[in-house]
Amino acid sequence: MTDAELIEKLKADLGDKVVEIALPARRRLFLKVAPRDLVAVTTRLRDAYGFVFLSTISGVDNGEMFEIIYHFSTPETDLNLRAEIPKADPHVDSITPVIPGAILYERELQDMFGLVIDGIPDARPLVLPDDWPAGNYPLRKDWKHARPLEVIPGGKS
Amino acid sequence: MLNKLARWSRIKSPWILHLNSGACNACDIEIIAALTPRFDVERFGILLKATPRHADVIVASGPVTRQMRDRIIRIYEQVPDPKFVIAVGACAMSGCVYRGAYNMLGGIDQVIPVNMYVPGCPARPDAIIDGVVKLLGKL
Repeated sequence: MTDAELIEKLKADLGDKVVEIALPARRRLFLKVAPRDLVAVTTRLRDAYGFVFLSTISGVDNGEMFEIIYHFSTPETDLNLRAEIPKADPHVDSITPVIPGAILYERELQDMFGLVIDGIPDARPLVLPDDWPAGNYPLRKDWKHARPLEVIPGGKS
Repeated sequence: MLNKLARWSRIKSPWILHLNSGACNACDIEIIAALTPRFDVERFGILLKATPRHADVIVASGPVTRQMRDRIIRIYEQVPDPKFVIAVGACAMSGCVYRGAYNMLGGIDQVIPVNMYVPGCPARPDAIIDGVVKLLGKL
């Protein structure tokens, strides 16, 4: 299936769930959906199109909105599923029931961006240290890191 | 007399513990390479030990991550006195490129006292052996 055929098929199949569809380069497909449709679209992509391999989930901080991008790979194409979530209410449904491997990425998103993944089977922190203060999300643009004071052994010379 | 014996045995057989506190593995590979028969560190009596309780010298590589801080202190306290710490590589000396990152505390000397610094990214096995032997020379 060529890129154009896949785009036509996706448009016809998913209907009004597709907010935007773009092909910036060959075999690089960007599909934008509303956050509430994520699980439905992912299920459809997995069952009908064979997008079973989730490479990773990216998070982007665009100021007022978070953008999360699900990168799917098949031998034919790379499909990137985008969804925008307001920063004021950062809730998104978990796709772990559909793609079990997504749990690590979703836990990392919770750690680094402070997103709330609804329905995640295991919501423990993944990458941050155990004594990390709550409410600090390092990959948010408005987060400032207070560097601990460094000691110079033997004093300054 | 007994002191002299203890000092002699300490110099003749420094047993080392390899501690990685968040290194990229390059320094670890060089430390392992330094322990191979090619460099033959057993001529100095250097032996790698699996537990801090048997070790005299901690050979530490990598910057200190926030998660490793308490664990490093626990390992350091388990080493019997007198204990020595060698920081191997640029990261263990100062934190290097990771310095100032949100989950890094800097070099090993931010957490435990360090006796010897071996520069390099990664440090060569020759440099590591030189560091250990220079430390023995100070005893």
